[in-house]
Amino acid sequence: MKKTNISLDDNSKQNMTKFEPTQKSRREFFKKSAVVSVSAIAAMSVLDPVKVFGDDKAITHHAPWGQQWGDPITKNLYGIPSAYEHNVTRRYTKLLASGNYRAAIAVSPIQDIEGIITPNGLFFSRSHGGTAHVDPNKFRLMIHGLVKKPIVLTLKELKRYPSVTRTHFIECPANGGQEWRAPQYNSLQFAKGFMSCAQWTGVYIKTILKDLGLKPEAKWMLSEGSDNSEMGRTVPIDKVLDDAMIVWGQNGEALRPEQGYPVRLLLPGWEGNLCVKWLKRLEFASEPWFAKEETSKYTALKPTGKAIQHFYANEVNSTVTSPSPEIPWTDLKDGDLIEIEGLAWSGMGTIIGVDISFDGGRSFKKAKLKGLVLPKCWTRWSFMHKYRKGQRLLLTSRAMDDAGYIQPTVDQETEVMGVESVYHRNGLETWEVTKTGEVNHVQLRS
Amino acid sequence: MFNLDHKFLFVGLFLLFLTTSVYAKKGEYIPSAVGTMSNHPTIDGGVYHPVKNGKTGPYKINEKTLKGGYKFGRKPTSNELKAWDTDIMADGTGLPEGSGTVEDGEELYEAQCVSCHGDFGSGGGGYPALSKGSGYNMQKTLKNQRNRPDADGPVRVFGSYWPQASTLWWYIRDGMPHTRSKTLKDDEVYALVAYILNINEIKIDGKLVDDEYELTREKFLKIKMPNVDGFEPKIDGKGSLERVRKYYKNPKNFGAIKVAYAKRCMKNCQKKSAKIVRVRNGGIKDFHPPLSNKKDKPALAKDKLNVKKVYDESCAMCHANDSMQAPVAGKKSDWQAKMKNGGIKGVYKRGIKGLNVMPPKGGTTLSDDEFKKVVDYMINLK
Repeated sequence: MKKTNISLDDNSKQNMTKFEPTQKSRREFFKKSAVVSVSAIAAMSVLDPVKVFGDDKAITHHAPWGQQWGDPITKNLYGIPSAYEHNVTRRYTKLLASGNYRAAIAVSPIQDIEGIITPNGLFFSRSHGGTAHVDPNKFRLMIHGLVKKPIVLTLKELKRYPSVTRTHFIECPANGGQEWRAPQYNSLQFAKGFMSCAQWTGVYIKTILKDLGLKPEAKWMLSEGSDNSEMGRTVPIDKVLDDAMIVWGQNGEALRPEQGYPVRLLLPGWEGNLCVKWLKRLEFASEPWFAKEETSKYTALKPTGKAIQHFYANEVNSTVTSPSPEIPWTDLKDGDLIEIEGLAWSGMGTIIGVDISFDGGRSFKKAKLKGLVLPKCWTRWSFMHKYRKGQRLLLTSRAMDDAGYIQPTVDQETEVMGVESVYHRNGLETWEVTKTGEVNHVQLRS
Repeated sequence: MFNLDHKFLFVGLFLLFLTTSVYAKKGEYIPSAVGTMSNHPTIDGGVYHPVKNGKTGPYKINEKTLKGGYKFGRKPTSNELKAWDTDIMADGTGLPEGSGTVEDGEELYEAQCVSCHGDFGSGGGGYPALSKGSGYNMQKTLKNQRNRPDADGPVRVFGSYWPQASTLWWYIRDGMPHTRSKTLKDDEVYALVAYILNINEIKIDGKLVDDEYELTREKFLKIKMPNVDGFEPKIDGKGSLERVRKYYKNPKNFGAIKVAYAKRCMKNCQKKSAKIVRVRNGGIKDFHPPLSNKKDKPALAKDKLNVKKVYDESCAMCHANDSMQAPVAGKKSDWQAKMKNGGIKGVYKRGIKGLNVMPPKGGTTLSDDEFKKVVDYMINLK
């Protein structure tokens, strides 16, 4: 094929070098077919290559990025995503924002996240007094109370402890909490995005306590943040001595300010609120505290009028991520083989299995776990499905963990918890796939 | 637990042996099996890491690191402890001496709190309500369930819901006012607490906290909140930890379900009465930014052109001296030579299109007019 020489006078806005089509008639044919297919293009997802009968310009023409300098390596010395990915972002809603967005949440776009690691910029962000910006040089951690040797640590000193690196999710216990009475969000990001998963680096608190000498009467630990809300939560000693960590690393770099830079508490699998950010103090005592976020909020009111306080582990849960309201099947053809994918997680253990239902949880088939299956960590699961155009489906996933817990149906959960408990909702979630492939959030309930 | 782990390890090794010996011979890709349990299939190289006895499982760990012997940090001084160890416990531990009247509290409230928490703590400013009338009456609403659209919900404000007043005192001092926390003096906190008790019509030792009331530490410790017994597990008093352990061992307490994996329901798992409930009227759509999965380039806000910055970053490498045989910035004779071909317009044009190793617009994304300004800057550089 012969390449045309672009002269300096060429005013091509696209800055593309064209391959000369061999015959003029063919060029005209392209024009016609392009006109015919306008409506077809409009009906398709913008992401799809234009399925016009004929050659694809993305192939037959040089791409502009292939014919000119790219960015120098001096640009963006801390890298940022492609500009084309600007829609992959945390999102917020005024419904979940108090105090001029200082006591609010921005949720994670889990419909767009791959694998089991959430990039740091997309990790969900929740604060009770705004994102604090702590000067690491002025960071101090005080550990005292019922220990033989109370201490103050600088950041440098804290990081001298031998570190461990663990992959765990953090979930706000209000994940799904707006949908006790009915589904409210036609969106995966808002229905289940109050969580993220990262590889955390830090030190086990039990490692530090070995030297401080925990007194036998110590049964509770207060963890306190240094932020504007002075976030405090009480942790039972069992968790402290099991897998509680003080972390400073998140996916290979320092914690982001939204995640408590320079240091936060990590209680794997437990309420995100317990994983106190901008940590400043740990105190051990024989009696528990009654901090605001474990008695007045983050408590689950039952129909008996009694509320669960000091609520800890996020229960076993799962969701279908593809398809989802954000990623519908409108572009699938009859007979397409498609992977149904999702996430499963449990704050009580490791996922041992996920089942998938096509009839809203009436009957189930076994799905397959995918990739690493770690304790208290996002677990990917997969099910291969042959798509039938015009077939209506009710997709429901159901996870089980090795502590023996299984997700309840919506009815089973509300029978005990009622509809006013706000937190820790893990009932089955259902996507309705319509005959045209649209995906709607529904619930099956009595 | 030690034995269990070893058993598991054995099973894992056995499976590894089994799969490698069976499949490796055939030269096939082994999709799973390493460390998986036969009835919990994983794919994509999945490795199964269980939790045993509720404890996090078998991550490889350097046992030496757990033996202690670290001597980092130092002892906090007594003044440092005094500054930071200020939490307030339900029994009054940490609560300082002091006092405040409802009257003073109301004045403080009007000055510092009302803009967010509304008149008489009624809320509405985007912050929580602090009162909905008598705490004792409102406590009776806690069994309310909004099962129907017209049903009233439970009232969960300080007076009707919070189990301990210590929480309020502690939080006001440390977290309020939200825009400049930790600025209230202890007596001011007492006054605000007195006011909030007042608007919730709370009684202390049988006496209503009326408009004339003065709250002291001694009186504060006698507060018994209307909903003090409204919570589970019970965590005040002796045996709190044991009660918590017991409570969370019973799945029925928190709406969870335990079942043996092999016995989980696979057919007829929904009640016959279960029906499809949809998002009504489109549901909540107030999303920022709006939902979209388009992969397009966003319209960028144009930065104001900084010609020096553009020159330094994109032009200077070749134009700062004559080592690249490019016309040198500020060297008139070089540019006059280039202008012989089409004048300044010719220079612009070739710069915009690129010439030899000179990339179009010097590799920048400037508009033509912006680029021309950079060229002008470069020619006239002193």
